[in-house]
Amino acid sequence: MKEPADKIMTAQDAISRFVRDGDHLVIGNYTVGSCAELVYEVIRQDKKGLTLYSQSGIFDVEVLVGAGCVGKLVTTYVLRAGGKKGGSAVERALIAGTVQIEDYTNFDYNARMVAGMHGFSFMQVLEGVMATDLFRKRSFMGEDKFRVIKCPYTGKNILTVPAANPDVCIVHVQRSDKDGNAQYWGAMGSVAAAALASKRIIVSCEEIVEHDIIQSSPHLTIIPAYRVDAVVEIPWGAHPTEVLGYYNIDPFMYGLFMMSDATADGLKSWMDEWIYGCVNRAAYLDRYIGRFGSEILDGIKAKAYYSAPANYGSAFTTRWDRDGRERFMGLTMEELEKTFQERGKLYE
Amino acid sequence: MSKPYTLQELLVIAVAKEIHDYENVILGVGLPTTAGALAKALYAPHATLMMESGIIDFKPLLPLNHIADAHSCRGFSYATDLFSAFTMTYRGFVDVCFLGVGQIDKYGNVNTTAIGDYYKPTMRLPGSGGAADFISYAKRTVLTMLGGNFVGKLDYMTSPGYLEGGDSREKSGLFPKGSGPSMLLTTKGVFRFDAETKEIYLSQIHPRVSIEDIKKEVPWDLKIAHDLSETPRPTDEEIEFIRNFAPAQSAGRELALELTVANMMRKAKVI
Repeated sequence: MKEPADKIMTAQDAISRFVRDGDHLVIGNYTVGSCAELVYEVIRQDKKGLTLYSQSGIFDVEVLVGAGCVGKLVTTYVLRAGGKKGGSAVERALIAGTVQIEDYTNFDYNARMVAGMHGFSFMQVLEGVMATDLFRKRSFMGEDKFRVIKCPYTGKNILTVPAANPDVCIVHVQRSDKDGNAQYWGAMGSVAAAALASKRIIVSCEEIVEHDIIQSSPHLTIIPAYRVDAVVEIPWGAHPTEVLGYYNIDPFMYGLFMMSDATADGLKSWMDEWIYGCVNRAAYLDRYIGRFGSEILDGIKAKAYYSAPANYGSAFTTRWDRDGRERFMGLTMEELEKTFQERGKLYE
Repeated sequence: MSKPYTLQELLVIAVAKEIHDYENVILGVGLPTTAGALAKALYAPHATLMMESGIIDFKPLLPLNHIADAHSCRGFSYATDLFSAFTMTYRGFVDVCFLGVGQIDKYGNVNTTAIGDYYKPTMRLPGSGGAADFISYAKRTVLTMLGGNFVGKLDYMTSPGYLEGGDSREKSGLFPKGSGPSMLLTTKGVFRFDAETKEIYLSQIHPRVSIEDIKKEVPWDLKIAHDLSETPRPTDEEIEFIRNFAPAQSAGRELALELTVANMMRKAKVI
């Protein structure tokens, strides 16, 4: 059980308390609804030498690599801006030799987190990869990128990957209570595994809700409170990416980013304005609205399409029926206690 | 004669026809999702469309931004996770999947990771994502190559096609019988794989393209089907569906980007 101290804090506090130079840091989100503000805060605090895990790198990996926070990258997919003529921060860093990359398939990467999440030391993965350069070409993980073992039951060769237990997961979700019961829905991806595999978990959410909301919809909770270290309420916390039920992707800002990302200078000036130039998400939104008005943001707010409620009700919530009789034994409390006495059950 | 169409529309239709009714289909972003939507609307109403993000059995209302885009449909039937999306593929429940191609060789092996040296690439491509596992275990794989190249030797082998050709894929013991790439779509034609040698050959040619145009891009003596046909002309129904559902897809990437940027600039000025 985590310390019972108040977990609600700012992004600044959460990142400075729980992310350290040299950490293995995992971005919990997969392709959608990235924890943009937590990522920006890691950059503002200039964390160094991170081993970054990302199931699928989008702008989040680009800015972390572009900012020089990352020494090693474990991933399956990276962004490329502007097609063949364009480029990416990851490509520039690989060419400069400032970042090493370990490439996996989506399943291999996720299997490492699933193994870590369950406390296993490795996970079986799909053996077809043995025919490819994903298996043959290895970077900083060397022999431990994949190992082949013999199945004790069938005698067949089995491809395995080692468990991953990152030091800290940063993840954005729709809502959480103040204790950190984090609720997420939509494309489930590998969000839960990334968080639960990690030693520390920082949750940012669109809104903090009453515990009642969580208690009546536990099927939506993907990270339980007892695992969570920090809860940060950040409306628009995934912008320019999207959060189901809250807002769509912002094609305007994403487009600006993509046009900038193709060159190092372009990315730097974009980051100067939108990351370093904004002390927090509120300042970022002020700047955005100041420059472009609120029209674009208003236009991408979600219209509601509610999930049908699941009925968590049951027939009764007490052992005592309307007449005050215990439902199995048929006695009132007075009759029951009298019986205890008569049968010599009570110790004086 | 049906109404005029764009090349991009022709490509979407060629891919959509690879989806048969009642099949389980893993879609990738871009052309395949539009093809999936078209197939579901016109040819394969009972197909189950799936994505590796765990969005299973959905009906796209808009073109998808990416493979975790639940904003482009109104709910869906089964919300599972990535791990299960791949294990169900491993168990044989996926009939057809769609993958993009950076480089492809004679036997349908694919590179989507890097051009040049892997460790210090001249061009870093996206990577595997789900590709290597899907092409390993889906019953069929449809490849689409819109900007890539045919090469004698891949710079990096991301996804296994028919390995060294012949029965080498089957003999490796790593893949289910009969699996592997079934088709490659490019902007010039449709290619398939010889049943015995597993060598890729030209099967259909798009309008306004000559065999020579295609041969120029292939660094070996490309085989041509005896019954080579022209890719069929789209019907009005097909054209109208695509143009309504995904107008930017009809326009093609470059024109769509040009028009989008122009529109963004206009808006930025107004604001």
